[in-house]
Amino acid sequence: MVRWISDEVGEETALLQALGIASVDELFRDVPKKARLGRMGVGAAHEESEVVAQVDKLLERNRPLGRFADFLGGRIAARYSPAAVDALVGRSEFSTAYTPYQAEASQGMLRALFEFQSLWVELTGLDVANASLYDGASAGGEALLFCRRLHEGQRFLVPASLPWEERSVLTNYASGPNLKVEEIPYDPRTGRLDLDFVRKAVGAHDVFGVLADVPNGFGALDEHLFELKATIGDVPLAVMADPLALTVLEPPGNYGADVVVGEGQGFGIPPSFGGPLLGLFACRREHVRQAPGRIVGASVDAYGRPAYTLTLQTREQHIRRSKATSNICTNESLMALAFVVYASVVGPKRLAALQASLAEKARTLASALGSIEGIRAPRFEAPYLGEFTIELERGTAAGFLDRLRRRRVLGGHPLADPRPGAPKLPERILVAPSEAVGEKEIARYATAAKAWASAPGGR
Amino acid sequence: MSYRQARWDEPSLWDLAHAHAPEAAPAIPGVPERFRRREALNWPELSEPTVVRHYTRLSQMNFGIDSGFYPLGSCTMKYNPKVSELLARRAGAAQVHPYQPEATVQGSLEITWRLERLLAKITGFHEVSLQPAAGAHGEYTSLLMVKAHYRDLGELDRRTEVLLPDTAHGTNPASAAMAGFVTQEIASKNGCVDLAALRAGLSDRTACFMLTNPNTAGLFEDEILEIAEAVHGAGAMLYYDGANLNAILGVTNPGRMGFDIAHLNLHKTFATPHGGGGPGAGVLGAGETLAPYLPVPRVAKVGRKFRLDYDRPKSIGKVKAAYGNFGLDLRAYAFILAHGEEGLKHVARRAVLNSNYLAARLGKRLPRPFRPLVKHEFVLSGAPLREKGVRTLDLAKRLLDEGVHAPTVYFPTLVEEALMIEAPETESKRELDAFAEAFERALDDTPEHLKAAPTACAVGRIDEVRAAREPILSWKDMRAASAKVETP
Repeated sequence: MVRWISDEVGEETALLQALGIASVDELFRDVPKKARLGRMGVGAAHEESEVVAQVDKLLERNRPLGRFADFLGGRIAARYSPAAVDALVGRSEFSTAYTPYQAEASQGMLRALFEFQSLWVELTGLDVANASLYDGASAGGEALLFCRRLHEGQRFLVPASLPWEERSVLTNYASGPNLKVEEIPYDPRTGRLDLDFVRKAVGAHDVFGVLADVPNGFGALDEHLFELKATIGDVPLAVMADPLALTVLEPPGNYGADVVVGEGQGFGIPPSFGGPLLGLFACRREHVRQAPGRIVGASVDAYGRPAYTLTLQTREQHIRRSKATSNICTNESLMALAFVVYASVVGPKRLAALQASLAEKARTLASALGSIEGIRAPRFEAPYLGEFTIELERGTAAGFLDRLRRRRVLGGHPLADPRPGAPKLPERILVAPSEAVGEKEIARYATAAKAWASAPGGR
Repeated sequence: MSYRQARWDEPSLWDLAHAHAPEAAPAIPGVPERFRRREALNWPELSEPTVVRHYTRLSQMNFGIDSGFYPLGSCTMKYNPKVSELLARRAGAAQVHPYQPEATVQGSLEITWRLERLLAKITGFHEVSLQPAAGAHGEYTSLLMVKAHYRDLGELDRRTEVLLPDTAHGTNPASAAMAGFVTQEIASKNGCVDLAALRAGLSDRTACFMLTNPNTAGLFEDEILEIAEAVHGAGAMLYYDGANLNAILGVTNPGRMGFDIAHLNLHKTFATPHGGGGPGAGVLGAGETLAPYLPVPRVAKVGRKFRLDYDRPKSIGKVKAAYGNFGLDLRAYAFILAHGEEGLKHVARRAVLNSNYLAARLGKRLPRPFRPLVKHEFVLSGAPLREKGVRTLDLAKRLLDEGVHAPTVYFPTLVEEALMIEAPETESKRELDAFAEAFERALDDTPEHLKAAPTACAVGRIDEVRAAREPILSWKDMRAASAKVETP
């Protein structure tokens, strides 16, 4: 039997005797016969060594990022995480704890979460952060519902450049209360938000919030960001921002954001095929009672010593039930710990330098690709940091990426919605050089792209 | 009493570093000046050893399942196998991007596909999706699926209500409200659903009845087949909150009991570490009626290859970026592989045996409000503590001084001064006896000691009222508060 189930000699017999029963079966007599199972059919047990061998065999069918020049990026990015980060995150006092319901026994995690909240506050320029949400996309969904609590209306405006996945998640968060997600068109040359459209929509008095993303779904920085709050007045402004970008960019709180959400995976969390990720959320002080999720606050203990605890819980599901600001219970606390440990080990100067270096790699690659016929790179005339969009004038994104993969280059992420029936879009790819990419890999990308351009249909 | 948690007067990160003068962030070529951060990020520059010592000390002031017994009811705090941690950190698992071409992630796709099928067998459902990130996320996703189903039937305008028992987890009504439903509580009778009250509540306005079985009182809803019949008779869907699945592994399952859809918490039954609050994984199982509405993509097997299938016209779309919490899915897969059929059955049997043993013993000291036979957890009422002028909260804090975690307190709400205790299969009889003795010592302690507890933790009893009345929620707030003190 598996070692993890307690199996100390004679103990089961002693437990049965204490209960005065002959068999464990008697403890299941309340399960109706008609509901009983025969076999589940999940197979036999395995020794731990066999589990390792079997899982490793399956994992060998993956080709991890290290085997490629990685230009995937986007909201989820592979970065080098100093070994100290995982050593701390892996400490089982943190990782095997439950939510810190008993604060006195859980000061370690509570303090780490307080530090995490403090960091997201510093990055965003807002006042209050929560202790995490599931991921950036669902944090966007929570931002939408948060805006609705602040303002009347039926429509939530999002950039048409928002990645389709995020739009789908937002639409699902909106669909509960029957709200509408509507796209803001962009200037086809620069990718900038159409402020006239926003002005008119807000003028119709049924917009309860507007979302902008930094960088946007095309990887671009939109100068209209700074005009957005003046355009929408008292309608809440939600910003979805990349934490690394915020180490060099003006904090959204300084240009009128009421709520800033983001994906925190790039800070000390491996991509792990897409999860666990980390949802970031911050808002203004006056709106804290409308915020979703857990919040850690500082207080004192009975002896007047500093102490930390979950607070403002009357917003939450376990107290307010159907009146709660959100249904969230389990969040991503351990990932929040990774986020703050990563930022603290690397330090703000090196974080900004990392963003600067990724931006330089992106510029080098964009200029190399821009000279290739049949590729528009970058597609939009706009400033950018570590990622940019290319558009293929012939062939398909899938064909292009497949050709690059043969040269061990993961060339980017196609922007089109893969669902059948989705609107047909130009063949665009978001390209984001990873931290591991150097001059050699950038040159390899350019060479492979040239080869494709000379024969886009060929092998 | 010999327990003492580490107590460090550990400064905060920002107090460990020298203050540095604000300067602008570096300029990025090609990025206009107006985008540039005028004041660089205000966060300390620290050496790696300083950071490592800081968080190591914090960890020593945190209680996890490796620190001791964690009888937190409804949270299924079982031992988290170390081998799963090893596997989740393999480069082939961790260093894989969700947007890699399918041909390069066949391993992840196959593990996902296999785990979905194993969980389908365990739950008795047609299909399983690993997308939702946690239990409540799975609840919300399910209710959107229920909504889509009734929209297709043309009944959505009418079916606006979600019913749930008064013992339901708080996430259930919160998810239902978020999904746009009106919630209605069904009163319990002797800790279980009152079938007559349920029948009276059901109507052609009901979209769904949400139920946990065993429920949060630790009781198996033995009229479950009648409940399912009544719900289906009203044309509504029956939802299974899988938080308490641990008690019935291999004995029965939600499909067999007549449920239409369920979420499972991989971080409970399947032993993935809960991370001090998360991550979780709230996978969904659905019967034939609702399966077409599951989120995309689905993992499909074509020949010997695995691919992501987006061609699901009825799907509600996505609820999270990428697919699921793969790092946790992998751990759950390893857990199932290790246990196998017999092992999983043994999990439920031992967990139920443990909890009944502890219930019988502690039931001699505090009232047990319902019938004695329980499943994986049980509820005691701390109401008699009032006679000595203390409350359940004091007992819980006093237990912390014994080197164990406290039970869940004040839930379920239908029990006065409730204590909800769960003893998973990984706990030995020795551990249960030690807990029972600790519990008895705490009960017999003086009111003064109970009210002064905890004294063996990193801090004493925390002033929660102050935390809520004068919220200090970040370093920024601390700076503002100390500036106020310095300049009256």
